[in-house]
Amino acid sequence: MEQVDKGLMKQLVEGHIADDDVNEMRRMAKKDAARFWTYLEVLQDKVSWNNPILMRVNDHLYIVRKGENERVVKCDCGHEYGDYRVNWKLKADIRVRDNQEKMEQVYYPAAAAPDPEWMEIREFYCPNCVAQLAVEVVPPGYPLTFEAFPDLDRFYREYMNRPLSDESPEWFQDKTADYIATL
Amino acid sequence: MATVMKEGLGLPVEKTLAYKLQQKDELYKSSGHYWGVKELTLKNQDPIKFEQFYSRLQSAVFAAREKARYVAASPGGREMGESVWALTTAEGDTLAMSLGFISHCAAFPVSVKHMIDNDFEENPGINDGDVFGTDDPLTSGAPHPGDTYTLVPIAVEGEVIGWGCAVNHIMEAGAPQAGSWPVFTVDTFMDGFVFPPMKTGENLRQAKWWDNLWMRRTRAGVMNVLDDKMRLAGCSMIHRSIHEIATEYGVEYYKQACKEIIEESRLMILDNMRSMLIPGRYEGSSFRISMLKGQQQIWKHADKNEMVHVHGVFSIDEKGGIVWDTEGSSRWGYHGFNGYPGGSDVGLFLGITTTFAHSCKASAGVNMNVTSIYHKGSIYNPDTEFASCANIWAQSMQMQCISSSAIHRNFFMRGYLEEAFAPEDSWDGVQGSGVLEDGTPYGFTNFEWVGGGAMGAYPFKDGTPCTWAQHTQLCNVGNSEEFEYLIPPFHHLGRKLEPGYCGHGKYRGGVGQSSVHWMQETGQRLGVTRGGSATSMTTFLSSGMNGGYPAPGVVTVTALDNNLAEIFANGGDTPTTAGEVLEYAKEGKLTGNITSWNYDPPEQSMGDNDIWANAAGASGGWGDPLEREISSVVEDIRIGQLPADFAKTMYGVVASMNELGQVFLDEAATKAERETMFTSRKTESKPTSEWWKEQKAKVESHTIREELLEMYRSSTSFEGYNKHYRAFWNLDDTFEI
Repeated sequence: MEQVDKGLMKQLVEGHIADDDVNEMRRMAKKDAARFWTYLEVLQDKVSWNNPILMRVNDHLYIVRKGENERVVKCDCGHEYGDYRVNWKLKADIRVRDNQEKMEQVYYPAAAAPDPEWMEIREFYCPNCVAQLAVEVVPPGYPLTFEAFPDLDRFYREYMNRPLSDESPEWFQDKTADYIATL
Repeated sequence: MATVMKEGLGLPVEKTLAYKLQQKDELYKSSGHYWGVKELTLKNQDPIKFEQFYSRLQSAVFAAREKARYVAASPGGREMGESVWALTTAEGDTLAMSLGFISHCAAFPVSVKHMIDNDFEENPGINDGDVFGTDDPLTSGAPHPGDTYTLVPIAVEGEVIGWGCAVNHIMEAGAPQAGSWPVFTVDTFMDGFVFPPMKTGENLRQAKWWDNLWMRRTRAGVMNVLDDKMRLAGCSMIHRSIHEIATEYGVEYYKQACKEIIEESRLMILDNMRSMLIPGRYEGSSFRISMLKGQQQIWKHADKNEMVHVHGVFSIDEKGGIVWDTEGSSRWGYHGFNGYPGGSDVGLFLGITTTFAHSCKASAGVNMNVTSIYHKGSIYNPDTEFASCANIWAQSMQMQCISSSAIHRNFFMRGYLEEAFAPEDSWDGVQGSGVLEDGTPYGFTNFEWVGGGAMGAYPFKDGTPCTWAQHTQLCNVGNSEEFEYLIPPFHHLGRKLEPGYCGHGKYRGGVGQSSVHWMQETGQRLGVTRGGSATSMTTFLSSGMNGGYPAPGVVTVTALDNNLAEIFANGGDTPTTAGEVLEYAKEGKLTGNITSWNYDPPEQSMGDNDIWANAAGASGGWGDPLEREISSVVEDIRIGQLPADFAKTMYGVVASMNELGQVFLDEAATKAERETMFTSRKTESKPTSEWWKEQKAKVESHTIREELLEMYRSSTSFEGYNKHYRAFWNLDDTFEI
């Protein structure tokens, strides 16, 4: 296999792919560079909105272009989380499991559950579709983890040879602290 | 021009190791190419010859492992993946590696550099067929003293052209706490038999005093001497092979080809990185408890509990290589969970080498594409030479999994889903010492749950149990009989998968495995502890993958002075997993002093019929668990990997199993349960911005337990993380954390 076509990519994204096909993909001596574009096509077909997807960052979340000057995080349900340079978790909903009973609902056996005297489980949901987007198991007082902040301009220009039209050094500046200052 | 000779060595200066190391570093710095090699001249002139040459090198190290490992008696070295043999350049840069834990290639140049910097060429001399050994984290790049190295110089007419190297994890390291990963250590003087690089033999033969040291300073002397002979046997084979190859191809070809091999693989690995990664900033963390309060009464400064914070940011440098910055990780402490940069790199490269050194020659080229930053004063670079490094693995495998998580997120984001999974694998080693009835003392390590764990979930399918080892391609949990034979009182009452024990999600991680060790004929004394990764107080990593839960930590259960004898006499069933031990206790079927430990237990003095049970090797989930197909949940119940009661709270699936093992799904109740769970997500959650304000108040009022505040003080003592922490909670510089 030298290239993964759209049909196979769709099966992979949807989790209905045959193990033999997956193994063939793994045996590719060199990954197909065009995969990224095929991936975006498959993902774009699956969502009901028209904003161009620039990158997938989560099972449900995408960095999309909005209008001429915005790049925002958007859920496949259509909910928007604003500027992608701000950790999207701050715009999500959160539930905290902070006692033994609640922790044992998601870890088994009970002895494997984190200790609520030391740790808490944070679950992040989309405010609209309520999909569980992320889980953190951390001590109280721990800052939210910004799991993925891609340098889109550099990736599109240097890695994919298709520079974005609105390139600017400003795009790869983490704006989380700026947003927090407004809370 | 007259040849300038190195005084005392009888060698031209340019043939000395010191000169070569200096030249190599300078040329790389000035040109950006290994040894300044801009053209692969030999490869281009005759590619077939070049590839045949490399094939000979590769065959030499592969053959070394496949033969030499049978010299060992310890299962870790012989049948599992706890060893590696390698050929390096004169400067210690790896050219070829056998199967095994290949990330140790990061340590070889540290040892060689130490010997060069300390004028070993003059004293004690570095001659063809000499034998050097080391296991010192500070000077040799060893992660911990349990990993022991042998290095044999290969010299032609006095000029060192390479080293045959080997490393394996030994059975016992000779520390006050027996085993090979001591936890209850204060400083390096409690790490056991620690030795910086030293000459221990000549002409491919160890000195007698060296065997005597192993016998006197460790509790598994015979095993360790045989491991030492195993390493040397392989290095001797490499030594002989390389002499033959150098004679056949000529020394000048040999030296130039080695430079080209590393430069070629450096470029190919860089290309692999660029073709799979996405420039950006990827953050992750994990936590590891050190629970020593009350257990270090003699050493008051170590008598404390510490939550060790592991923090890392993964990014991409200008060329496309990896930058790994551990700022924010805790300061080093008076415990065994520290390491020095060489050993930290061995941890980091567990994931990087196996992921990117493919479709090319696996050499030091991989190391040259990674910049690791270990801040002075941290657990990865203590600002003292006396820090204990007895068990860096207790947290460094988590450190590397944070880095690997970033890599696998990249695969997901770029569309290479077939390569993406949740890279987590909690590991456990049971260790200790005893005295048999006849007075024979011994020490031991059981490697079984080190040798293999579960694959994490993929974005399109579940993970699989017992199929992955971070540190080696040779995932192998060893034979039960081997461990029972070598560790006299240990017998498996149970050894199987622990149902439900994984990180859950739309796709669940591979289920972890459990052993119930039953003690028999414990003789005069038996003391047991563990050396392993994160305990169940914390999860393995702190972030799950896209809505999945991270893998749980290791579970340890002890059942002392129990009623097993009575159960046996009555023909009753006995527990086969750690979870079952606790169930039996809850139901009153197993009685006695039964304890579930979510931290490292102090040494347990054990007698006949006592139980030590553990569950480890669990991996992480991927995606929202309420998106998991109901049929997959039912199937998990049917095959015994998910208890039906837990299926309801975790997945909202209401099902029951009858005595024949048939599973019945209640579709209406499942629909209602899932709706209830969705509703509770709405009613029990709040906007994160609101939560942030409440949490900030907690942080400002210090209503967080003192050990955790200490952790934050430790992490924020590093300038960059201090800025990050204060910015996140919007704290001004005068606020005292």
